[in-house]
Amino acid sequence: MIRAELSRKIACPECDLLLDRPVVLRSQTAHCPRCGSRLFNCRHNSVERSLALALAGLILLFPANLFPILSLQILGLHQQQTIFSSAMGLYGDDLGIVALAVLLFAIVVPACKLLLLAYVSAALQFSRPWPALPLAMRYYQHLDEWAMLEVYLIAVLVAIVKLIDIATVHPGVGLYSLAGLILISTLSSTMLDRDLYWHLIDARRGEPQHV
Amino acid sequence: MYSWHDSAASQGLLSCHECQAVWPQALEHGHCPRCGAPLHLRKPHALARTWAFLLTAALLMLPANLLPIMSIAILGAGEPSTIIGGALELARHGVWGIALIILAASLLIPAGKLVGLIMLLLTVQRGWTTNLRQKMILFRIVHWVGRWSMLDIFVVGILVALVQFGNLAYVTGLSGAIAFAGVVIFTMLAANSFDTRLIWDRHLQETDIDPQH
Repeated sequence: MIRAELSRKIACPECDLLLDRPVVLRSQTAHCPRCGSRLFNCRHNSVERSLALALAGLILLFPANLFPILSLQILGLHQQQTIFSSAMGLYGDDLGIVALAVLLFAIVVPACKLLLLAYVSAALQFSRPWPALPLAMRYYQHLDEWAMLEVYLIAVLVAIVKLIDIATVHPGVGLYSLAGLILISTLSSTMLDRDLYWHLIDARRGEPQHV
Repeated sequence: MYSWHDSAASQGLLSCHECQAVWPQALEHGHCPRCGAPLHLRKPHALARTWAFLLTAALLMLPANLLPIMSIAILGAGEPSTIIGGALELARHGVWGIALIILAASLLIPAGKLVGLIMLLLTVQRGWTTNLRQKMILFRIVHWVGRWSMLDIFVVGILVALVQFGNLAYVTGLSGAIAFAGVVIFTMLAANSFDTRLIWDRHLQETDIDPQH
């Protein structure tokens, strides 16, 4: 079969049902008729919106990581905490592997996801033939579930409840930035039309070839 | 109803696991012409890998729940507490909501993931063919919910960084946290290695009465 013909087909990623590519209108979602999995998420202006959200997220990364999330006061003594210091605290208690996991899931992976999304979206938006676009998109998809900022936010709330009896807890600028960052990165995931992205990445590389 | 002949695999086609492009099976073991990912008809060694990650996680669940994950010392007095101990402590103070969230995230979710994935593995290996759509929903829940178990690790990290007041109040992270982080990571890897298409392949091949295509 030639490539153009194959590109009109899709196979459900979860049950392998071969289908003719459905026509999906704006803001609609196509589900597999056999297993019910989500096939496509068609999004209006996906590239522009993802680019805008990724850039906004990259800006918010700085206050979320540099300003204290919580500060604690006991008898006039003060202590502050950022995401990075919560990883370093674990490292100081000889839990290096756990510290590494916190560092990766709460700082490195969310930042890499935003960078990759901004890179791919900018290349598609401005039609630039930047290198390694398929690789960047693949890494973005792999990293997706390992970003755990929203879990971290709930952990902050749990910590507040645990500490409220023994000390005065003050939320810092970092906490509000973190909440904003989570909102932005969740929105950027829902605005991303992966199927469209792969098509555009493919189209940037010239004419469809025969297999 | 859809039969085995509606699956891409029975028509000599495969789809890329990463960008979903459809290709002839002749390209298997090569790389996807669109995205460059290695092409496989099904995820390689899906069952063996899922079992291996699951067993690792199951073994780690014992130290994760039996060893203390942190100790909170206030005015010099304090003792190491396990995850369940910490949740019970919160419940005793009347903070039921948070106690339930912690219990769910650290006990019910990992245990539920373990049971759910074993059910799915047995479905493939024993050829169980009932409620396949429900099993897909089970898999999606198992896949989505896994990351929430990191909650407790983050809580320990935050407390350790925040409560450093010498003799007045002091929180230390303990080795149970390593085992617990291991449980979370290995159950997530297990869910990622599983291939739900295997559930359908076996069922469809067995119920295929009329191979006319």
